[in-house]
Amino acid sequence: MTETPGRITTPHEGRLASTWDDAATIDAPLRLHETTAPPEWMDYNDHMSESCFLLAFGDSADAFFRFIGVDEAYRAAGHSLYTSQTHLHHRQEVALGEPLVMTLQLLDLDRRRLHLYHEMRHGETDALIAMAEQLLVHVDTEAGRSVDMPQDLYAHVSAIRQAHAALPQPAVVGHPIAIRHSN
Amino acid sequence: MPDRTAFGAYREQVRPEWLDYNGHLNDASYAIVLTRAHELLLEDLGLSAAYRESHGASMFTVEMHLRYLAEVSAGQTLTAATTLVEADRKRLRLHSELYADGVLAATGECLYLHVDTAAGRTVPLPDDRQARVDALRDAHAELARPAHLGLGVGVRP
Repeated sequence: MTETPGRITTPHEGRLASTWDDAATIDAPLRLHETTAPPEWMDYNDHMSESCFLLAFGDSADAFFRFIGVDEAYRAAGHSLYTSQTHLHHRQEVALGEPLVMTLQLLDLDRRRLHLYHEMRHGETDALIAMAEQLLVHVDTEAGRSVDMPQDLYAHVSAIRQAHAALPQPAVVGHPIAIRHSN
Repeated sequence: MPDRTAFGAYREQVRPEWLDYNGHLNDASYAIVLTRAHELLLEDLGLSAAYRESHGASMFTVEMHLRYLAEVSAGQTLTAATTLVEADRKRLRLHSELYADGVLAATGECLYLHVDTAAGRTVPLPDDRQARVDALRDAHAELARPAHLGLGVGVRP
């Protein structure tokens, strides 16, 4: 692959997908990514820029992809998971160097779609900083349309969904953006 | 009286640093584009960076909902059509259609809170800014609301 200078990369890029173990216990929620807020994510006010929350959640999603078996080789073979929607909720600001821990819960799925819920928490205080809901679609990248996941991939995400079935439904899930009036 | 059309000041080329490994606009970069388009509307309302300096208050994004509709590549020109959907004394809700070379590439919706930056809590807008917000909201009241407004994220049959 030719390296394009200055483009966006993820810390998990190039890492091979993990070998799936049917007997392994699946964490509920999954904890696959943590990071420390770097200088290039800070805005003029020395707080993390909005889009960088999405970069961090994207990195966690990328770790999830490799956990279920979607890596560069999987993409090169003509399929990928595309983000169809993202809904971010901001609760707290992030300052330079703060430790960030991401969790990931699989809320729902069908043969082609995954509904994910991410949380970002402070690595020391465990304070809830931000949440993200994402809808991902499994696509045939050549044809440019959605297609069913292959059986092994679907089995992996189904096992994760089963492991996550007992987790409570997060309060923000499924709610559209709105100005809710108190009276 | 503001225009009775969607706000369309945003226009710029896709930047190389917004692209990912396959040369497309990265997921998170759509948020950058949306934020930059909305910043121009906030500036028009007198609620941008200069306002933060002069008033010690700022519009904070509390929610953002992006729907990705098409891939965007290097060299394309981005534009936006932004509507002020809803507002009250402390909150603004903006919706944008984002276009790449005239093709609808994404929609984005944001909820902003007006926050006193020193106190770290929401406060009502000053009267002059409220008047501008109300005028724009009234001007945009007749604009068509897209069907996806008011829908959350989910796997729907």
